[in-house]
Amino acid sequence: MPNGLISRKSIHDDAASGSSTSYTCTHCGCLCDDLELVLSEGRVVEARSACETARPRLVGLSTTPAASPSPRVQGREVGREQAVTEAARILAGSRAALVMGFRRSTNETVRTGVALADRIGATIEVGDEAASWPRLAAMQRVGSVGATLGEVKNRADVVVFWCADPMTTNPRHGERYSADVEGRFVPEGRSGRRVVVVDERPTATAGGADVFLKVRPEAELNVLLVLRALVREVPVDAHRVEEATGCSLADLQGLAELLQGARYGAWFSGGLAGRGPIAEAESRHQTVTGLIRELNRKTRFVAVGLGEAGNSHGAESVLAWQSGFAPGVDFGVGFPESLPGESTAAGRLARGEFDAAILVGGPAYDALPEGSRARLATRPWIFLGDRDHEAFELATIALPSATAGIDEAGTFTRVDGVSLPVRALRPASSPTEGEWIDALMEAVGLSGRDAGAPGSEAGR
Amino acid sequence: MSSLRIAGGRIIDPANGVDDRVGDLWIEDGRIVAAPADPDARADRTIDARGYVVMPGGVDVHSHIAGSKVNAARIMRPEERRGEDRVMRRWRGFRSGTIGSVPSSFTTGYQYAGLGYTTAVDAAIPPLGARHAHAEFGDVPLVDKAMLVLMGNNHAILDALREDDPARVQRTVAWLLDSAKGFGVKAVNPGGVEQWKQGGGRIAGWDDRVDHFDVSPRQIVVALAKAVDALGLPHPLHLHGLNLGLPGNWTHALEGMKALDGHRVHLAHVQFHSYGGTPEDPGGIDAQVGPLADYVNTHAGITVDVGQVMFGDTTSMTADGPTGHYLANLLGRKWYNHDVEQEDGCGVSPIEYQDKNFIHGLQWAIGLEWFLRVEDPWRVAMSTDHPNGASFRSYPDVIALLMDKNLRDESLARLPEKVRTRSALGDLSREYSLAEIAIVTRAGPARILGLLHKGHLGPGADGDVTIYAPDDDRRRMFALPRWVIKGGEVVVDDGELRSAPIGSTLFTELEVDAATRSEMGRKLAAEASFHPSSFGLGLDDMAEPRAVSRPTPG
Repeated sequence: MPNGLISRKSIHDDAASGSSTSYTCTHCGCLCDDLELVLSEGRVVEARSACETARPRLVGLSTTPAASPSPRVQGREVGREQAVTEAARILAGSRAALVMGFRRSTNETVRTGVALADRIGATIEVGDEAASWPRLAAMQRVGSVGATLGEVKNRADVVVFWCADPMTTNPRHGERYSADVEGRFVPEGRSGRRVVVVDERPTATAGGADVFLKVRPEAELNVLLVLRALVREVPVDAHRVEEATGCSLADLQGLAELLQGARYGAWFSGGLAGRGPIAEAESRHQTVTGLIRELNRKTRFVAVGLGEAGNSHGAESVLAWQSGFAPGVDFGVGFPESLPGESTAAGRLARGEFDAAILVGGPAYDALPEGSRARLATRPWIFLGDRDHEAFELATIALPSATAGIDEAGTFTRVDGVSLPVRALRPASSPTEGEWIDALMEAVGLSGRDAGAPGSEAGR
Repeated sequence: MSSLRIAGGRIIDPANGVDDRVGDLWIEDGRIVAAPADPDARADRTIDARGYVVMPGGVDVHSHIAGSKVNAARIMRPEERRGEDRVMRRWRGFRSGTIGSVPSSFTTGYQYAGLGYTTAVDAAIPPLGARHAHAEFGDVPLVDKAMLVLMGNNHAILDALREDDPARVQRTVAWLLDSAKGFGVKAVNPGGVEQWKQGGGRIAGWDDRVDHFDVSPRQIVVALAKAVDALGLPHPLHLHGLNLGLPGNWTHALEGMKALDGHRVHLAHVQFHSYGGTPEDPGGIDAQVGPLADYVNTHAGITVDVGQVMFGDTTSMTADGPTGHYLANLLGRKWYNHDVEQEDGCGVSPIEYQDKNFIHGLQWAIGLEWFLRVEDPWRVAMSTDHPNGASFRSYPDVIALLMDKNLRDESLARLPEKVRTRSALGDLSREYSLAEIAIVTRAGPARILGLLHKGHLGPGADGDVTIYAPDDDRRRMFALPRWVIKGGEVVVDDGELRSAPIGSTLFTELEVDAATRSEMGRKLAAEASFHPSSFGLGLDDMAEPRAVSRPTPG
């Protein structure tokens, strides 16, 4: 077994032509770290163990560095030093900067990003904030009851996919973690588990399930509430239940009994805990936790997210350990403040309440609504990311950056909190996002903003 | 070369037999050195410490400061980190942060240093969580860090035990510790967490059997203690035993100590394991420190940290999943649970210790009884099991209570009557001296950890020094050191941060042969949700790694 030093090494460091080497895929929330890439003549020619979603994105990638693109300042190509100086000038002069993105950034990059936001008193938001805020707001109310995916693999005899279709979105989920995989206490694999799919219509995942229950998206919350009541053995009225859920009480009772009969159950859902109204996402998350907690009075049960592409969970974790809050923090008053729905960077961007912005990574730009993109164009903003992303041409200052898993190694964190090394395919031709941010920090210096009220006593 | 002279202070250095002796201390390149022979020698900087008390930097043997459960507690509890008095402002180059019962990472380092602590051990990191915890350590400045690695419910250990293969247990311990780049070995509710994850009946006694693995908690802890001794690890097996927090658990604590007779063992947060009564009659709970402390007093291989409870709002967090579940339901508070494959569990819940509550009052008294009943201060370490009993920030309050019988009596008088009848605290007249405080807060924990370069001020020791202004108000004295020096650098001066070096990560260097690595890797591959090559950490996954030499056994 190789030692841990591989985490900082690129594949190209030890890959001769025609050799194969292990690789961590970041294209969905599974974060499969068992891929083997076969390299030949400067290209990836095969991605063993990869799913059909990932393989086409990996095969054909060049393993030799591309030409180094230049940074841009207002469309002009400039040297790196000048770009940093200009960017730092914008940041140092800002009173209400936004720092956003980090959807596919390494944990190491996020550490520097939070430092910069703290230094300039910015509002920062990391990862997939639209899904994170409701999930974390629910956790702040009721907690969460989860496990690492290996617990599901080894123990779960009941697996629920709640309004999600992992066969399509997370193709290897079943074979690696949940429905199909053999585990210590489930040596039979698939036949040792009961698989339940609840969704608005039959999906690929539902096709392989033991139980399928059809639920309209707008009734999801009610179904969760009724299931919780049933597990809690609260008397319910059959007619009213059917009215509220569109499901027969008998079907829901059957499901509740199946859940309670688990030895170790696992409940999976996507980032918004269903397909229903986004305004109810927090309530759905909260009710799932309530249901799972109720089930734990009788047996063992856990809820785990399916996970999203990239590293939202790692970014969240880093922001939380440095500031105490996730997924967004306002450093404007000189210390971290965070209030779900109030102090979000996305909200400030949409309302135009900012005077400068940094977007880290193309996916952050992709996720912006039209209105927010228009707002962005009215202020100086800095983009860190791929030269080929459209944002590179639009930003006031564009800093071409390496991409994690392509030409940058580092750490990503899976949806279940397990941190895994991500390796590079080829040497970087651009600085990493973290290196740019470090350079910006240095250029901003301490002059940027010093909220330094006296009397910041260390021991008090 | 940089040098610092601390001139004319009242040096309290119990490890070297120095008790309140006026003298100079010299630090060169981060280490304490002998005073130069030349009486006219000058240091780059001199601190005039005349009239001040000079001690080694504090060492916390049991705390929870990093990793996924600590971070989950931060995320789950925004309510305790809002408002001006619960934050640290950005100041100069220092980072802002939040406090609450579980401070953010930089703030954790600043707050520890602010109290004169320069070393802190995180007592419960699952091997799979080590990558995260080491990354967080990289953002905890000013203290040297180390982690104890959870093994009491580890499948590789339990499998080796079931197959009665002690040599494999030892190889597995070495491999896990090396993979996690940990410092020591921790067992938490050995076997009991695994049993709970299987949905089986509770493990309540040392000879109960864990389903599937068919091993008992007794077998687990004895095997781990043997492996720790055989590997010559600096720190003994660090044990959180059975039935934490349950009435009547003192008998299990005693039995656990007896089971480990002949081995070195450190009992963590022993306050939570010293309750009389029975689970059926929780109201009958009383303090049973007497017989437990007697056993410790007469058995040299045992050390303890207390896990002192102080009144106020805090957060309970434990790798003991079933206890976390029990507590969350008992309190009716929000509950974070996280089962970690092949390894352990995790439970987090808010808790408020109230002085009106008889049980909480009794817990407070039991902790103090422990400090006062263990005769040899070298064998009882200061801890609140941060943040479980209270934040580490309340150490100055605990110190004040230990040094002042009147203060204890005043506090005790405000508690429910039953606390006074169910605990003998009121009868204990012992008051700690400054030297004894120095022992339980630095010299003792360093010795318990086996850190030869910590907890003393002899030549070769790390240049970690705390200088206090003597004050009859002991709380104030220990809450606001005049200077704190880390590795020879002044980091706190009159309550203000001056610099924030990141500090080292201490770990035990072990040789694990290639055959063991591949054997363990194969087993891991069969059960894990990740590739074995993602498991083991290297030195560049750590912040300022520093291998700790192993003392010669015996």
